[in-house]
Amino acid sequence: MQSVLNPILLYAACALGGVGVLVALPGRRASPYAVGAVLGGAALGLVFIGLGVAWPDHLPNLHFYLFATIALGCSLRVITHQRPVYAALYFVLMILATSGLYLILSAEFLAFALVIVYAGAILITYLFVIMLATESPTQESAELLSDYDRQSRDPLGATLAGFVLLAGLTVLLAQGSAGLPSAASLATTGDDQKLALVPAQVERTLARARDAQGERLLQPGERLAIADDESRDALIAAGVLAPERWPGVRPQNPEGAPAYAISPAEGWLVIAGSDGGRRVLERAQWPADLSLPNTLGVGFALIDEHPGAIEIAGVILLMAMLGAVVLARKKVEMDEAVKAMAAAHERSGGPGVDVLGMEGPYVEPGVGQGGRPA
Amino acid sequence: MAQALAAAALGQGAFPEPVSGVTLYHYLFVSAALFALGVIGFVTRRNLIIMFLCTELMFQAAGLALIAFSRYHLHHTGSAFVIFVLTVAAAEAAMALALVVLLFRRRQTLDGTQWRQLRG
Repeated sequence: MQSVLNPILLYAACALGGVGVLVALPGRRASPYAVGAVLGGAALGLVFIGLGVAWPDHLPNLHFYLFATIALGCSLRVITHQRPVYAALYFVLMILATSGLYLILSAEFLAFALVIVYAGAILITYLFVIMLATESPTQESAELLSDYDRQSRDPLGATLAGFVLLAGLTVLLAQGSAGLPSAASLATTGDDQKLALVPAQVERTLARARDAQGERLLQPGERLAIADDESRDALIAAGVLAPERWPGVRPQNPEGAPAYAISPAEGWLVIAGSDGGRRVLERAQWPADLSLPNTLGVGFALIDEHPGAIEIAGVILLMAMLGAVVLARKKVEMDEAVKAMAAAHERSGGPGVDVLGMEGPYVEPGVGQGGRPA
Repeated sequence: MAQALAAAALGQGAFPEPVSGVTLYHYLFVSAALFALGVIGFVTRRNLIIMFLCTELMFQAAGLALIAFSRYHLHHTGSAFVIFVLTVAAAEAAMALALVVLLFRRRQTLDGTQWRQLRG
């Protein structure tokens, strides 16, 4: 695996930076716990680097285990941490680890969309609500956690059910496990037929690539040819392309005009020189990275194949926004009124009815004054 | 040296391929474990906000499985579907959090067990 910098160098630089930040932070006293944690982390990192040195080809695999461990550990903390704010922050860390997994799976667009949408938008909303809907600390219980954060509900049964579910799922999944095909085989799938619709992308990739002699595959001034009749006749007359290799259906772009002359199915593409000459580039000469990029592929899958679903998603989002506004503007009785009512009910000696229930007095919001406190 | 680095950045910018060893099953296992943790958290935690955070955890598990299948079948529809998962998650977060704020204003607590006797 080649990269701009040696990954070991990057790891070492990051470790050095981490130690530097740790030292620079104010008010850090080296408690034995912290020293132990740093040493443990360093040992784990050394093992990781050693594995990376031993099998550099397996670095993506190691990253899978790293990200999977972070994701699972953080989600464990999400469900076990007593403070909701910390749980939300661990959730952000889990999202970052998951987007790392997406990157390994070559889903670059969604990895970044995940960071933006989840870590950037949804989790901020959660944090707002956590801070909005938390009981204000009183004088004697400024540090105390509320009871419902300290006590869990039926932990034994839930854990049992959850792990039985996990065991069943994994056992069933294990019966059909299979390796992932390499990214290079993307070029032979049906998605790749859309390459004819992104000529600029193809030309950029070709101009960057060199052939075995070090020559550019696409010289300056050359372009991808249009798949019109003129191209076909010239190629067949010159004998560089057998007539049966020309697709029976002429490739067309969505407007109905002839598309660009690239046929991954037949394994050729035609380059038009600046002097009008044409030459064929066979698949064997294609650069390895000539395939539909992830972002373009997702775009085609969204817009070409599921245009209706996008409309519905937009409507759902609009409805959710309206619903949230309507719900949040609803005026409810405030704390004092409810408490006074409960006290009055107790004094009158009523039966043990849940007077704090849903049928509390509801005030119809007046126009333009819904958000005002009572 | 600088030229070589620049050339490397351009030519080798392609994302490293997953080499054989990590299979579809590994990703599905992580996804299933995330989902199970989300289920456990949803059932056991009593804080309403954490409960909804756990549903987001389950959404993430589904998204990871979809992306892994999309990569396995070399088809982008799975990736496109994750965008709809994100949409639903965003809509759900907006509605659920508005509800949480409403419930909190009514009873000054986030305890989910306080709302057992929902009627009508």
